Parts: sequence; C-alpha cells; structure tokens
Amino acid sequence: MSTALHDQVRNFILENYLFTNDPSALALDDSLLGRGIVDSTGMLEIIYFIEEQLGVKVADQDMIPDNLDSVNRIAKYVQSKR
Amino acid sequence: MTASLLQAVLDHARRAPEASCLLWQQTQWSYGDLGAAIASVAARLRQLQLQPGDRVALLLRNCPQYVALAYGVVAAGGAVVPLNAQERASVLARQIEHSGCRVLAGDPHHPEWPRLQVALAASDVRLLPVAITDDATSVEAFCDGVKTDAEYAAVDAHALGMLIYTSGTTGRPKAVMLSHDNLWANTQAIVRYLSLTASDRGVCVLPFHFSYGNSVLNTHLAAGASLLVEDNLAFPQVTLQRIADHGCTGFAGVPSTFTLLLGRTRLHDYDLKKLRYVTQAGGPMPKPITTRLREALPNAQLFVMYGQTEAAARITYLPPSMLEAKLGSVGIPVADTEVTIRDAGDAVVPVDQVGEICVRGPGVMLGYWQDAEATQQALRGGWLRTGDLGHMDGDGFIYIDGRAVEMIKVGAFRVSPQEVEEAIASLQGVQEVAVTSQPDEVLGQSIKAVIVQTAGASLDERAVKAHCRQYLATYKIPKAVEFAAALPRTASGKVQRFKLA
Repeated sequence: MSTALHDQVRNFILENYLFTNDPSALALDDSLLGRGIVDSTGMLEIIYFIEEQLGVKVADQDMIPDNLDSVNRIAKYVQSKR
Repeated sequence: MTASLLQAVLDHARRAPEASCLLWQQTQWSYGDLGAAIASVAARLRQLQLQPGDRVALLLRNCPQYVALAYGVVAAGGAVVPLNAQERASVLARQIEHSGCRVLAGDPHHPEWPRLQVALAASDVRLLPVAITDDATSVEAFCDGVKTDAEYAAVDAHALGMLIYTSGTTGRPKAVMLSHDNLWANTQAIVRYLSLTASDRGVCVLPFHFSYGNSVLNTHLAAGASLLVEDNLAFPQVTLQRIADHGCTGFAGVPSTFTLLLGRTRLHDYDLKKLRYVTQAGGPMPKPITTRLREALPNAQLFVMYGQTEAAARITYLPPSMLEAKLGSVGIPVADTEVTIRDAGDAVVPVDQVGEICVRGPGVMLGYWQDAEATQQALRGGWLRTGDLGHMDGDGFIYIDGRAVEMIKVGAFRVSPQEVEEAIASLQGVQEVAVTSQPDEVLGQSIKAVIVQTAGASLDERAVKAHCRQYLATYKIPKAVEFAAALPRTASGKVQRFKLA
C-alpha cells in the first residue's frame, strides 16, 4: 500500500537519481542497487535524507539492504522507528 | 607452457584443489572448483567456435562466475574485454562492436541486458547468458554438466590478453591492449612487494573490470590466496562484518572507498586485527583520511600506490616504512619498471622539477586497440606518457602534481569531459556545452556542465540529467548543471574549461 511516506521516499529517489516525476519509473519493490539507480555514495545520501527529511536516526547496525534497498523497505524501516 | 596467470591458477587447482579461492555471499569456491569452472567455460566457448585471439566481452558485477569467465576465455585462446557494468547499453554495444567481440557473456538480469540484446540483434555476436542468482552459484550449477579434458593451448605471452575500455568518447572509444605478459609481470611485481602468500585472504570491493580491481583479483589468485568478493560499498557495515567474519588479511581501496568506510562507521567495532595490509591507489587521498585510517587500523601496513590501466595496473608503490618520511609521495617504481619525468620535448627534467611521468617496463601496454594515432602519442621511444604531471625527489621518490591532459576523476574512475559533452550536446535545445570538474567531499571531483541554450529553448537541470542518465553511467552524470549566455573562450575560440569551475 502506498502512503504519504512511500510517496515522499519515492519522490526523493525519482527527483535525485532518475530525474523525473513519473512514479511509474520506480516500483515500490525495485532494488535500488540491483537496478543501478543508486551507487555507494547514493546510498549514503539516502541515509542522510532519512535522517534529515524524515527525522529518523539510522543506527549503524540498521544500515543493511533489508532496511534500505527499496522504497517499501525504507518506508517500513522508517515507520518502525517513528 | 609459458608462465601466465592462467597457468598459476591451474597449478593451484592441481596442487591444492581444496584450498579456499573465492568467497561470495553464502558461497565458497575452492581452487579445484575454479579449475572446473574454467574448463567448463573453455568448453562452452569452443562450442561457440571461438578462435585464437577472438575477443569475448564480459558484463557482470563482481562474482565467482566473472572469474571463471575471465580465465576461461584465456583457456579457450581468447582475449577478455571486461565491460564496465555501470555503462548504458548504447555505450556497451559500441564497445562490443569496436573491439569486434565474437561473444558477449553476461548476466541476463543486468539492467541494460534487454536493451543490449536489441542493440546486438543484427550483429553476429553470440550471447552467453550467465545467471547470477543466489541459488545458482554452486560450481555444479555453473558448469551444468559441461565436462572437458582441460587441455589448453599454451598462452602466447605477447598475445592480447585483455582489452580494457578507458576514458574515450562514444564516437572514439579507447581500449588499452594488455598482453598476457603485461598482466603476469605486473601481477608478480605486486605479489612481491605485498608479500602475498597462500595464507592471505584479501577483500575486493573494486570492480573487476577496473584495472585496480583486476589486479587485486589476479594477485590473490597468482599467490594461491583467497579473495572475499564484494561488489559495492553501499552498506559498509555489512562489508566490514564480512571482513571480520572471514578473518581477511588485506583490503584494497581508492580514496572514496576509505571516505565511505570511515564516514559513518566505527572501525573499532569490528575485529579487524588480522588485516595486515591495506592498499590505496586511484588518486591522492586527503591527509586527514590517511591519518584516521592509520589510527583505526594500527596493525595494518598502508601501501600508497600509483598506476594506470595503460601500465597494466601498478607503476609505483610507497614502502610502508617510508610512509612518514615520504608523506605525499606515491613511492618508487615496481620491480623491473623505470620512471622518468620528462618535458614536452621528451628530455628528462632535473630532480624536483615538474614534468610528465613516463614509464618503461613489462607492464606497459601494447597500445590502444585500432588507434595508431593515440598509441603513437602515448608510447614514444619505448616510454609510456602517462598524462600525469609529477616530480621525483633526490632519493628517487615520485610525487603526483596533476594532469597534463583534461580528465576528470570521479572516485577513481576516469571520465573524459568530451564524453559527457557529447551526450549533452545531443539534447534538443543545447547550443553548446562545456564540462569541467568541481571539488567533491567524497569522490574528490564531481562533474559540472555549463550549457548555452538555443534561442527559445527552456531546458532545466532535471531535463539535462535525465537525458544524461539514458546515455551515461551514473557516475558520469553531472552533479551540477548551470546555464550561461556564452562559454569562456580563448582568442582562438577554444573553450577554457578551467574558467568554468
């Protein structure tokens, strides 16, 4: 299910890595690394985005693909920390 | 059979078949496994009628299958063309065509694979899909019943072993030709100064298609060591935990690797005491990062190194014992290699004077593939002109002072400004464009484009980046896009890129 949080995460990735506002360019379960959408530095930027824009501090041990490698995973992680 | 990388690996497979070779995700391949996988690749390539000297392109991220393919191509008498897995289909198709590859072996799940298939449909390039899924990583699955007698023709030391595409443009790709002997000689020199043995276990987070990653792979295999194969540093904590769990003894990185590693990570949370060597190449590292790295890993020797694809990989290294005394230096030439600093007229300049770094030795390339003009410019009188500016001190230690030619380094990847300009110029509404570099905290440099629009056009930053994303690898997309009324030019009309920054 897509929520405002999902939209916020997807829009950030669309705007900064796919350079579009077309939501169909990124499915909620697409692997950000597997599809070559972000690289190592991009993942670091996404972590800053989560901390600064979504207000959730990402602990070291939480920086794993299960929490960060798709819109759904990021949204689920952020929700669990709010 | 002549000494070669392939021979060294086959010897290990015969003498120590159970020894650990490649660790990847949940899988481990022994040397015996790799030997069987190489034989299977060679047999499959022979079924595709691969002839001696034929080129085979590889499009895979770092994984054991990449290694089997790279060595299997050589076993079948071919030459390897490792493609940059970050490039887009249009660039990849052009490189495959330019190098005249007979076969493309790659991961069908690669995001560019479908488009590449379409682009190559009219060509006679044969496709060899190699699935890289977690459940198909066992050697048995990879070999899929293909058996062979494992008899290979002798490798001709002077024949083409590998073609590595470097910073050319789409219109004029530039591929470095390395012979089997270039690769073998450089590998041996590195094995020697790092004192690599079969008891070492390295980590490779650098892409194998990149000459530094390629040399990390080859040196560990030549030494009979094992290698933890990773393919990115997106999750540094995960990588560090794996390094600790596997008791790795060596780690290779470029400056941005260490910036990412030290950025948000507390290295002392991980048991890294077995790390005995850390290598750093790919451009100058900021001194605070070097200092923090040494504090975080007091037991590891830090090897600062310098090289380029045109010299197989490594040109110089700084012995760790000299790190303090010669801080800022990239060290002394590797074994059997000479370095001189020359002026534009090819004369050697005095000590401490800046000139172009020139190299002679067994690692220096055969030339650029089908580009006699570029080869002639780079190889003059038996010396490789690196395009790097530097000087040598009175003790023979070399220091890098910049680039003689316009080239941007994003992370450690070379990017030709012309390639990015070429991509942007094809966008409707662009009258002219110039590309330059700007300082970047993590990557050292990032790309900046300055665009003059045609009358009435209304491009914005996003449109330019979206267009670039279609044609350029992600790291080549400009981070900054600016619009200007005109570009700064010299009296003769040449764009002055340095004025754009």
